[in-house]
Amino acid sequence: MSYVTIDQVTKGYNQQVVLENISLTLKKGEFATLLGQSGCGKSTLLRSIAGLEDVDAGSIFIDGKDITHLSPRNREVGMVFQSYALFPNMNVFENIAYGLKMKKAKYIKSRVTKMIELVDLIGKEQSYPHQLSGGQQQRVALARALVIEPKVLLLDEPLSALDAKIRKNLQKELKRIQKELDITTIFVTHDQEEAMTMSDRIFVMNKGKIVQSGSPTEIYTLPANTFVAKFIGNYNVLNMDVFRKLVQRTELDGNEIAIRPEVLQLVSASEDNLDLQANWGIKGLIKDVSMTGNVLRYEVETEASAFLVDDLHHQGKMFEQGAQVHILVPKKECIILAN
Amino acid sequence: MKSSLVFHKVIVGLLVIYLLIPLLGTFLFSMAGKWDHTILPESYTLKWYIELFQDERFYLALQHTLFLIVVTVGLSVVIMLPTIFIITVYFGKWEKWLQAAAMLPYGIPPIVGAVGLIKVYSDGPIQIAGTPWILVGAYFITILPFMYQGIRNSLRTVNAVQLVDAAELLGATKFQAFRTVVFPNIISGILVSTLLSVALLFSEFAFANLLVGGRFETIQIYLADKLNSSGHLTSAIVITYYSIILLLTGTVLKLTFRKEKAPVFFNKKRSLKFLKKSYRQKNTALEGENS
Repeated sequence: MSYVTIDQVTKGYNQQVVLENISLTLKKGEFATLLGQSGCGKSTLLRSIAGLEDVDAGSIFIDGKDITHLSPRNREVGMVFQSYALFPNMNVFENIAYGLKMKKAKYIKSRVTKMIELVDLIGKEQSYPHQLSGGQQQRVALARALVIEPKVLLLDEPLSALDAKIRKNLQKELKRIQKELDITTIFVTHDQEEAMTMSDRIFVMNKGKIVQSGSPTEIYTLPANTFVAKFIGNYNVLNMDVFRKLVQRTELDGNEIAIRPEVLQLVSASEDNLDLQANWGIKGLIKDVSMTGNVLRYEVETEASAFLVDDLHHQGKMFEQGAQVHILVPKKECIILAN
Repeated sequence: MKSSLVFHKVIVGLLVIYLLIPLLGTFLFSMAGKWDHTILPESYTLKWYIELFQDERFYLALQHTLFLIVVTVGLSVVIMLPTIFIITVYFGKWEKWLQAAAMLPYGIPPIVGAVGLIKVYSDGPIQIAGTPWILVGAYFITILPFMYQGIRNSLRTVNAVQLVDAAELLGATKFQAFRTVVFPNIISGILVSTLLSVALLFSEFAFANLLVGGRFETIQIYLADKLNSSGHLTSAIVITYYSIILLLTGTVLKLTFRKEKAPVFFNKKRSLKFLKKSYRQKNTALEGENS
């Protein structure tokens, strides 16, 4: 049975639709990510679940209870904001204890102490938010949201203000804590890599709609449409007419074709022992090479379109700019998009 | 690099001199016995202060002024704080109206305002013309821009909307959220607005003179009256009320910053900046009074 249900939620701001008929369900303990560009409605959806925004139509259920019209304080959800929203006048301990105090809970001290241990902030209890680093502040925000034992944890781009290394660290940490507490989590991000690493399930959103949902692998390897293909990876998306011309085949159907840059293979133009059984071969010219560390990214110009090709950075195997090459396109890795 | 530091110091030094000389001059004049042909007074005396402190009218005027200030500023805080909070947090759309209203005092010269107020309040349901209460009303409007800007900026700086969101999600009611999370973080901002308002009202003359005049003598009216009798005495009055403001400000600030174990650093910085402004305000007011 589903633990969180969002049923046909719709919301607009001055005649502009922000959420259009959003429906989704989550199982207990699931880590779900709302992924999309800024302005796609992902944060609004999250804030609607928290009760910080009203919805125009539809309903939201958590653990079988209709919470659509409850005030935020009665929804039993915890939320971590992008800017943390720690209370500047309280120290770490008081920040974390705040929710328990408001609820007049028992054993405040031991529960807060346990939470401080969980997020690894021992020794910082008396520090004030401005004395902490960004990563530490984020841990406080997380502990503060978790200590009230919410049914659902909502995370609104909680890591986007942190630098890359701390971010990677906190991703792992967050995932560990989530698993340890087995708490149903909804995470909002615009970073597809972050979504891939963290989630059990990803909901890709665009213009107020969920355009695809599935496991990270499904989303990555089988994008449902051009938007997902372009957003989720650096897919080469070609018009089918162009592709037909390139490979000189007319029997291919569909509207567009999507090919991931890392499945493409480059061989020197002088090579003539090509496996054209499993691949299509396209002639091209290396226009640009860039190196991101472990990956070489080529921009290859062909007679009709440019391709991005990713290759692992092997010593001694590198094409120079201006080199004539063949691009081998594995037939079974091509994704035909109908729309 | 060193020379630029010197340059900065010179600029700051000049500014300090510019601000302090009128004050120092006033102070010297208030202590001067004979001062005709020399740069510094030829003799010093405390007789102006003695004369001042023996005048019951002075204490009464001071009392009146303090009463007006406490009532007005208190009323302003009690009314404006919740108003601005509610509008900023829940009715963002209406903010421009509040902003326009807060700017009104700048648009209406005191003389025009005073005449209008007297007309409206000398008959009809509320007949308060000539009483201190009409001054309280006028002063409320006078300090509105300071209260509005100060409170609104503090709310913005601490990101009050999000703090309230966070507190509500943690189980607080709206009122609890305001009391426990917003208020403690904007208190220093409110304080700065308050001090600014106090300083402004201390030196307010136009409304006091036109609306109430001798019937409820404030310190400025007393000062204006004494201006005809002796320049030394008026200097003594200015120095005295300036010291009172300074003492008041210092005490309030000291109390607040000692109580707050860790004042939010950006707040502190901001309020210091504000304070400098408020001192400058006082100085210019003083210059005006001396002329």
